[in-house]
Amino acid sequence: MKVVAVIPAYKESERITNTIHGVSSFVDTIIVVDDGSCDGTKEKVISLGPHIIFLEHALNRGQGAALRTGNEGALKIGAEIIVHIDADGQHDPACIPALIQPLIQGTHDIVFGSRFLGSVPIGIPKTRLLLLQCAKSFNAFFMGIPKTVTDPQSGIRAMTRFASMHIPFRQDRMAHCSEILQLVTCGSLRWKEVPVDVRYTEASVRKGQRSTDALKIVWHLLIGIFA
Amino acid sequence: MLPIQIIFISFFLAALWFTWRRKAYAWSILWILASIIILLPQSTTVIAHAVGVGRGVDVVVYASIAILFVLIFRLYIAVERLERQLTEMVKRDALKQLP
Repeated sequence: MKVVAVIPAYKESERITNTIHGVSSFVDTIIVVDDGSCDGTKEKVISLGPHIIFLEHALNRGQGAALRTGNEGALKIGAEIIVHIDADGQHDPACIPALIQPLIQGTHDIVFGSRFLGSVPIGIPKTRLLLLQCAKSFNAFFMGIPKTVTDPQSGIRAMTRFASMHIPFRQDRMAHCSEILQLVTCGSLRWKEVPVDVRYTEASVRKGQRSTDALKIVWHLLIGIFA
Repeated sequence: MLPIQIIFISFFLAALWFTWRRKAYAWSILWILASIIILLPQSTTVIAHAVGVGRGVDVVVYASIAILFVLIFRLYIAVERLERQLTEMVKRDALKQLP
């Protein structure tokens, strides 16, 4: 089965090369969607060779938007399984086989990587843990996402071609995580979570989401209902 | 006439002049209605009593806040739609780079 990794990247010139090298041994093709970076991410990716498919957003439109572009690109080149993975290297690419195995076996349509099944995330800040608990409650009460979902904001997931065509998520920015979870868990797709290892390095925490971004996510989810 | 009335009335007169210069006569209804409320604040008491509010000025303030809320909400949604259209364009443009 043709496995395509979609890596949305925004200002990741320092880490993208390592991420691509790590991911490449577990998938057939890699699509990097550069979300309007201006820090040389493009040059770094192109220098790796033409086998890495590079799609560039002319403007920064957010991670959700980059994933949609990546999904459509992957479908066009005939992907049968699409893997979403962050560019900053916080996800261990060795988790990919465990993510796609249920898809290959045909028992599930989409598999989410969870930081909170089994192994404890390395170096995760305490405030982040508290925030993720709040996100879980918000998801349960306002979005109807079951509390059995252990990771409300996971950036690593794998889905079949069929699933990717039946998750019409519309959020451009960080709210897409919750939106995808809602569409999947409240729909008829077969889903599951598998444990993934996450490394919180100083750089990934610094560049990653700030705690105040949680409010933005809530706001976009609320406005998104009407738009 | 109170100073506040003079300030508001001169603002509405200026507004009238600006809108008439652009031949946007329909706007006059808004400025004239506002002028009536400013010059005869008691006129709103009738409406206030009808809906159960004590003072006429209060009903104007409540109504203004409600109208502003709706307008800002609609504005946010319009911006969100524009952003989605922009994203769609950016996506189409990016997909042209597929080999």
